[in-house]
Amino acid sequence: MPFQTLLCVSTRLDFMNSQWSTNFRRKKALQGILSVLPVLVVMLFIRFYPIGEAIYRSFTNWDGLYKNDWVGFQNYVEIFTNSPFWTLLRNSFVLLISVPLQIFLGLMVAVLLYEEVAGWKFFRAIVYVPQIISAVIIGYLFRIAFGLDGPINQVLRNIGLEFLSIEWLGNSGTALFVLVFCLTWFSIGWQAVVILAGMTKISPSIIESASLDGANFWQRTFLIIVPMTARTIEYGAIMAIVWTFTGTFAFIYSITYGGPGYETSTIDYMIYTKFYQASAEFGFATGLAVILLIIILVLTFAEMYFTNKVSEWE
Amino acid sequence: MNRTRQKTTRVLIFIALSILAISNIYPLLFVFMNSLKDRTEYLKNPFSLPNFEQLAWGNYETMISQFQIFKLFGNSLIISVVTIFLLLTLGIVASYAFAKLKFIGKNLIYFLIISSMFVPVQVTIIPIYMLFSRLHLVDTYWAVVLTYLGMFLSEAILLMTATFRGIPDEIIEAAELDGAGYFDILRYVIIPMGRPAIILCLIYYFIVTWNDLFTPMILLTNMNSRTVMVALASLISRYSGDPTFQFAGLFLAAIPAILVYAVFQKYIIKGIGEGSTR
Repeated sequence: MPFQTLLCVSTRLDFMNSQWSTNFRRKKALQGILSVLPVLVVMLFIRFYPIGEAIYRSFTNWDGLYKNDWVGFQNYVEIFTNSPFWTLLRNSFVLLISVPLQIFLGLMVAVLLYEEVAGWKFFRAIVYVPQIISAVIIGYLFRIAFGLDGPINQVLRNIGLEFLSIEWLGNSGTALFVLVFCLTWFSIGWQAVVILAGMTKISPSIIESASLDGANFWQRTFLIIVPMTARTIEYGAIMAIVWTFTGTFAFIYSITYGGPGYETSTIDYMIYTKFYQASAEFGFATGLAVILLIIILVLTFAEMYFTNKVSEWE
Repeated sequence: MNRTRQKTTRVLIFIALSILAISNIYPLLFVFMNSLKDRTEYLKNPFSLPNFEQLAWGNYETMISQFQIFKLFGNSLIISVVTIFLLLTLGIVASYAFAKLKFIGKNLIYFLIISSMFVPVQVTIIPIYMLFSRLHLVDTYWAVVLTYLGMFLSEAILLMTATFRGIPDEIIEAAELDGAGYFDILRYVIIPMGRPAIILCLIYYFIVTWNDLFTPMILLTNMNSRTVMVALASLISRYSGDPTFQFAGLFLAAIPAILVYAVFQKYIIKGIGEGSTR
C-alpha cells in the first residue's frame, strides 16, 4: 500500500474516532445534566426558594393573608428588645450542657466496648436503641417519670427524701435539668458508636503497649485515646451542638410544651408557637428563623475553619 | 496474678455494660408492662409487674378499634415508603452523575445541593406551608413527602456519591463496551456495588421519617391524614387521659422502627461510624 493512502486512512480513522468520542462525551454530559435535574428542581422549590422567602419576609409584617408591608428591621428590633428571645437563647445554652456530658459518657461506653468482652456486639446494638425510639415516646416517659406523682417522686418519698419530691417540670431550673438529662440519655449511644468507629482507626498495639507500660484506665483513655480520636470527637461535638439548636423540638413538645411560659422553649420552638398563634406573626417568626439560620451557619463555618486548622497542623 | 486481675476487669466491664443495656431497655419494658395494667393498678405502683390473671388487653383493643392506630400506621407507612422510594430514585441517579459523569457546572451544582444540608427545616417551614397551601397540597401526603425530600436529599447524595466514587471506572467502561446503556449501568453496576450505602439510606430514613413529629404536625392538620406520631402527640397532650391506654399506643408505635433496627442494626452502626470518620 502506498504511504500516502495509509496516511489518508489513518487520519480518516482518527477523525472518525474523535468525532465518535465527542459525541460520546456529549451524550454523557447530557445524561449527567438530566440525572441531576430532578434533584435540582426539588431543591430549588423546597429548599432555596423557602430560604430566600424566609429572609425576605423577615423584613415585612407578613401574616400569610393580607398584611405584607416592608417594615425594615422592625421584626429584628422586636425580637431583640421586646420578646422572650434572650430566654430562648439562654435555654439553648443550658441545653448545651448535655453535649460535654454525652461525649464524656459516650467515650466511657466506647472504651468499654473496645475491650470486646463477651457479647460486646449485642451491647453495641443495645447502646444505640434510644436513637431508634421516637422523641414523642421518650419525651412522654420523661414527663410521666418526673410528674408530681410520678415514679421518681414516689421513689424519693419512699426512701425518705420527701423534700426532693418537687414539681420538677414546674419551674425553669429543674425543668431544664430534666431536658438536659433526657437529651444526654438519648445521645450517649450515638456518641459511643461514633467514638468507637474513630478508635478502630488507632492501631491496637499502641493501646496494648501503653497498658504494658503500666498506664491505668484513665491514663489510657485521656492521654492516648482522646488525643488520637480528637477529630472524631470534634465531629461528634459539632453535630451535637447543631442538633441541640435544631433537633430538640419533639422532646420539648412532649416533656414541657416549652413552659412554664417560654422558660424551656428554644428558638425553633417559638417559631412553632408563632405559627399557631391566632395573630399569625409570620414576619416575626421568619425573623426568628433567619437568626436560627445564622447561628447554624456560624457553627458550620467554625467547624470547617477548625478542621482546616487541624489539617494544617498535621 | 495479672491474669486474674485481667479477668476481674473484664467481668467488671461486662457488668457495667449490662447496667447500661438495662437502662436503655427498661423504658420500653416499663411502657409495655404498664400498658397491660388498668389505671388504678398503675397509680398504685408503676414498677410492679402487671396482674397476669387479668391483663388489661382492653387498652390495646381500644387503641385498635377506637383510636384506629393501624389506620394511622398506614398514613405513616405511606409517607415513609413514598419518601424513601423517591429519595433513593432521585438520589441514586444524581449521585451516579456526580460520581462518574462529566458535565458543565457539576461542582457548582454539587456544592449548592450539599451546602443546604445543615439548614434546619424550621427555617423553611412557614414559606413551605404557604407555598403548599397555594398549591392545595396542605393535608396531603405529598406536602410531607416533598418537604422530607428537601430535608434529606443532600445528606443522602453526599453519602451515596462518596460510595459510588469508589466503584472502579473500568467496570463501567467494560459494561459500556458490552453495549450497556445508561439504565443498564445503574441496574447492573451502580446499584449492586453501592448496595451498603443504599441499604443504609433505606433503613435510616425509614426510622427518621417514622419517628418524626415536627414536619407532619405542621403540614397535616386533618384528622384522617395524620401520622401515628402526630396523633399520639396530641393524645398525650391531654393531661386527663388514662396513662395505661397511652402506653399501649406508644408501645405499638415504637415497634416498627425497632423491628427494622433489630434486623438491620449492623448496617446502621457501620454507616454511622463510617460517616463520622470519613
